Amino acid sequence: MDEYDEMYGIEDDYDQQFADELEVLAEMNREPAPRPRGETRVPSEGDADRLLRDPPTSEFSANIMVLQLFLNRLDTVTKSPKAKRQKQEAGVVKRLFDSQQIDEGAAATTRSDDITPPSSPEQYESTRSASSRSTPAVLDISGFAAFSQTPQRPAVAAAAASQCVLKRPPLDGEYITVTDSSGNRVYLRQKENTDGKLADPSRVPHLDGSLGLLAEPIEVLKEQVAERRHQQVVEESQRLSEMLSRGVTEQFGELGGLEEEDDEDEEGRRSRLWVDMFSPHHYTDLLSDDFTNRCLLKWLKLWDTVVFGKERKVRPPQVDRHVQNQNTSNPKQAAQNANFKTFKTKSQITEEILEAELDQYKRPKFKVAMLSGPPGLGKTTLAHVIAKHAGYNVVEINASDDRSAEVFQKRIDTATQMKSVLGTNQRPNCLIIDEIDGAPSAAINILLATLNRKDGHGGEEGGENAKKKKKKETVLLRPIICICNDLYVPALRPLRQQAFLLAFPQTQPSRLTQRLAEISRVQGMKADTGTLMALCEKTDNDIRSCINTLQFLHGRGQRTVDTRTVQSVAVGQKDQNKGLFHLWQETFQLPRLKRKRVGPGFEEAPGEGGGTQRFQHILLLASSSGEYEKVSQGLYDNYLSMRVRDPHMHIVCEGLQWLSFSDQLNHVIMHGQNFSLMRYLPFLSVTFHFLFAHAHVPRLSYPHSQHEATTRLQGNRNALSTMLAEIPPSVRSRISELSLTADILTLLLDIICPKLRPVNPQLFSTREKEQMRELINTMLAYNLSYRQDRTPEGQYIYVLEPRVDEAVKFPGLPPRRQLTYQAKQTISREMEQEKMRRAEQLMLLRNPTQAPKEKAKSTSDPKPSSKNHQQRLETIVKQTTVELRPEVDFFGRAVAPKPQRPVTSETGEKSVEQSMGTAVGNSDVWFRFNEGVSNAVRRNVYIRELL
Amino acid sequence: MSLWVDKYRPASLGKLDYHKDQAVQLKNLVQCGDFPHLLVYGPSGAGKKTRIMCLLRELYGAGVEKLRIEHQTIVAPSKKKIEINTIASNYHLEVNPSDAGNQDRVVIQELIKTVAQSQQIQSSTQREFKVVLLTEVDRLTKDAQHALRRTMEKYMATCRLILCCNSTSKVIGPIRSRCLAVRVPLPSTEEVCSVLSAVCKKEGLVLPPELARQVSERSGRNLRKALLMCEACRVQQYPFSADQEVPETDWEVYLRETANAIVSQQSPQRLMEVRARLYELLTHCIPAEIIMKGLVAELLSNCDGQLKTEVTHIAAYYEHRLQLGNKAIYHLEAFTAKFMAIYKKFMEDGLDGLVF
Repeated sequence: MDEYDEMYGIEDDYDQQFADELEVLAEMNREPAPRPRGETRVPSEGDADRLLRDPPTSEFSANIMVLQLFLNRLDTVTKSPKAKRQKQEAGVVKRLFDSQQIDEGAAATTRSDDITPPSSPEQYESTRSASSRSTPAVLDISGFAAFSQTPQRPAVAAAAASQCVLKRPPLDGEYITVTDSSGNRVYLRQKENTDGKLADPSRVPHLDGSLGLLAEPIEVLKEQVAERRHQQVVEESQRLSEMLSRGVTEQFGELGGLEEEDDEDEEGRRSRLWVDMFSPHHYTDLLSDDFTNRCLLKWLKLWDTVVFGKERKVRPPQVDRHVQNQNTSNPKQAAQNANFKTFKTKSQITEEILEAELDQYKRPKFKVAMLSGPPGLGKTTLAHVIAKHAGYNVVEINASDDRSAEVFQKRIDTATQMKSVLGTNQRPNCLIIDEIDGAPSAAINILLATLNRKDGHGGEEGGENAKKKKKKETVLLRPIICICNDLYVPALRPLRQQAFLLAFPQTQPSRLTQRLAEISRVQGMKADTGTLMALCEKTDNDIRSCINTLQFLHGRGQRTVDTRTVQSVAVGQKDQNKGLFHLWQETFQLPRLKRKRVGPGFEEAPGEGGGTQRFQHILLLASSSGEYEKVSQGLYDNYLSMRVRDPHMHIVCEGLQWLSFSDQLNHVIMHGQNFSLMRYLPFLSVTFHFLFAHAHVPRLSYPHSQHEATTRLQGNRNALSTMLAEIPPSVRSRISELSLTADILTLLLDIICPKLRPVNPQLFSTREKEQMRELINTMLAYNLSYRQDRTPEGQYIYVLEPRVDEAVKFPGLPPRRQLTYQAKQTISREMEQEKMRRAEQLMLLRNPTQAPKEKAKSTSDPKPSSKNHQQRLETIVKQTTVELRPEVDFFGRAVAPKPQRPVTSETGEKSVEQSMGTAVGNSDVWFRFNEGVSNAVRRNVYIRELL
Repeated sequence: MSLWVDKYRPASLGKLDYHKDQAVQLKNLVQCGDFPHLLVYGPSGAGKKTRIMCLLRELYGAGVEKLRIEHQTIVAPSKKKIEINTIASNYHLEVNPSDAGNQDRVVIQELIKTVAQSQQIQSSTQREFKVVLLTEVDRLTKDAQHALRRTMEKYMATCRLILCCNSTSKVIGPIRSRCLAVRVPLPSTEEVCSVLSAVCKKEGLVLPPELARQVSERSGRNLRKALLMCEACRVQQYPFSADQEVPETDWEVYLRETANAIVSQQSPQRLMEVRARLYELLTHCIPAEIIMKGLVAELLSNCDGQLKTEVTHIAAYYEHRLQLGNKAIYHLEAFTAKFMAIYKKFMEDGLDGLVF
């Protein structure tokens, strides 16, 4: 039976709602089952025993120094701290040395790892401490059969060593100086090889002329040891995982497991970040909001059909069983889960998305889940944990990786289409793209293209040839989870529409506090709930920041944490830009708490301690905002509307003094590129805070004034420069923009508005005509004209062009006298005429040779124009007759008249035409062809004929 | 060509109406043949440009008056194109380099060099040098002024510079020392009156001497303004009456009202209103210095003797800051606030004195 069918039948919709969660829990519980507990062994001393027994130690009769050297090198090669084994080996070596009573100098050189310095301090320490402890190695000696085989050899060797290693240079013979890291110098006597050869002839054949100390080549040894290491690591990991899973089944919680783990490697614990150490490994450990967790998990489960190929039918019985389990075992969580009924609107939408049909490839509708939220809430952790528990192998791409287009494409393809064949994790991949908001848009486009990739022909066939599709593997068949801080980065815009969006809510402080308390208990710190709450508050419920702060305090040796330390410590604060309005508000508002705390004593002590704190606070805010220009502008625009008692205007003066100082500073910075002075700019906000801050919530407005002023200034400038551009040079040389605005323009506008009689200009008296002429001259000289314009109301008005009247008009002053519409119209018309006249004159001036001719023509014209139709006809006739031109070819060369006949006929025609033309021209009746009027045929009729 | 200012502008040194001895000196300067660089300075409306044009005419004859406007495009080293208008005759070139804003150095370097490097061909009939007339030199950036220094010396043979500015205080010392400074002071009230009545006579109008006096006072002896005012009066009402209202420029009226607002009440709210008015003035292309000057003049008329010195002092202080800074409005407002504080204190002290 299908899972859902079953669930709909049941009244208790708990199962229905939390099916996936329960499923995961069930799987978690189930997991250890296939591995019987008895079979996996906890690695004990016996293991190491065996490990050490196996190698070809029969030939270990070599020099002990070499062995030590070799071990050290092994330590440097293998990274993972396997203290146990080292302990044993080192212990053995130590004991052997001890038993041989090697002198101090030799011991120093051998034991203290000088020959090859250890890779890391912890490693160094571990061997050191182990050797000094030398506890467990008692039974190991039996393993070193090779050593006991030849008991006298080491003695001989040691004796030889004591002979060889000297503190002073030997008096005779050759020697080698060896200096260790601490500066001790010993001298090794060089000896003939004969002794060594005699002592151990067996190893000689193995070596091809190299330093013959080992029976087997070092490479072989290395390989063997590495193999052993690997085995050990595998066993260790098995043991750990088993222990962890056992812990879960026994409701032990991870902390117990962690504690055990911690006991084991104390050194590792010190160096690891607590954030990693205590990061949740299971779904139940997650601190983030349960609803979010569940949604993501559910979405991921939607992929099961296509990824694992299993239908949901398979699961119901198990789910059912585990539901029972869960219900009994974890009532608290059940209660918590029940709370989600309150999330209605949002949850319903999300729910709908999750219930939506799978597409033709059996993928969910949204191929990408996008987690968004501020840093430190556990987004990455959630993604990892959930992906792991849904049975995926996590492949992460984050900002540290190269995210250029090609590489990104390759990585996406690798992650979504490949699968690891070797190794234990043969699980399908789940791609987690972390910090995607920083990725270039090219990369995001590639991701989108991957999402929307369609199988070429699979569209119609649908699920029938699923096999083919599988073979091609072009469609995206693996889930992708994207994580970002800012969901609204422009680059993410296209992705946002195709993604299953999950906004991360704030972590609940109570849960966070609880977890912090657990951590501090485990780490042996004392911290009460109040302190931890304060810490949460300070870091804005940022989990990472909280834990880091705790670890920092722990690392400084503080074992008890109180509220004061938390307040005073500077860590855990994020350098976040809070926005300009926030800054202005902080500047103009006294902090609430401070005032309450100081209470009645506020007058006497005007916040000595509070003052510095406020100072620092505002300074920090202002300097982190960075936009000093905007900030000071906002302060300037708003400070006068603050409710500050300032009868003598001293405070205002002080504030302005600071403003002008900062302006000066800005000028210097910009002019000389002296950016080191920038650090003094944020102090303006601080001063304003102390001068103008008030307990009331300030009513702030965005500073527009400067921008408005600049825009208007620019507009006026443009009008003036348009006016200046066309002014004739004789006037232009005398006026500048400054004199225009300051002196000329207002008066000029007065001058061009004389009193004109509202009559036709034809009827003006000579004096008025003169006046008009002057007016027009003036306007032309100053490049002013009237332009007809239409107001929104539909009225026609004449406006001055360019609009310099706007540039000199001030609000609140009595309006200047304006000419009437008619007057302006008259002026405008007269001006046009005058302009034409001038242009004509100019033409005449430019080419004076043509002018008289034209005049002559115009004078001579009237005579024949008595019969203008005749003239017209004549021109027509001319046009037709003028066709007799010498023919030219394409290149303009004269062409010899080849066809003789047509020419003659043409000429004949022409003559006819010509005669016709003249005949028509001489008659009294004429018409115009194509005139389109009915009385096209005309005839001159004189009055006398009618009388 | 029909404004009186343009119509009756004297064209030769001999026809100048006032500062005649200076005109004679300039004439001698031309005739002696050793023509130096000139730095002509004086308040606006005193007739600097007129005098310079007369001088050029004296140098080259009537040919200088054939002017043409040229639009030049200069490419700065940063590949930025600077467009600038020059007014030129065959003998001289007039540039206002401050039109180019911050890039004026490039204008100085390119434009002047090209002029200066070209030699006159017919040196027998002409002067052997051309004249470059730079206006508003006091608005040049320091960079541009330094660029000018060397050019002035290097091309002395082919080029003379006439610099024209309102105040020499912003012209760097090296340039001042390379020029013959010619100060053109404002005409006296009587001189303005005589010019006005002469112009009116030419126009065939009768100007009552009272009105002439009033106009010249209102114009602050700025002759250009006085003539324009007179013409505006003529447009307003022709048969002149002695007590006719003389039209004024709007910004001055506005500034006076602003000053009155400051004096009448001193409070942050009033300061806010004043700020809006100051912004208004600034957006109408009135330079901040002129606003400051006008404001101080208006405020001082409302102050008593002792207060006057104090106000002048703070005005000087804030004017200096104004020059050092970028945003004029801050400094203007700072001055206003300071004045308010001082004035208020002064008034309250006065009241206290009355009470006790």
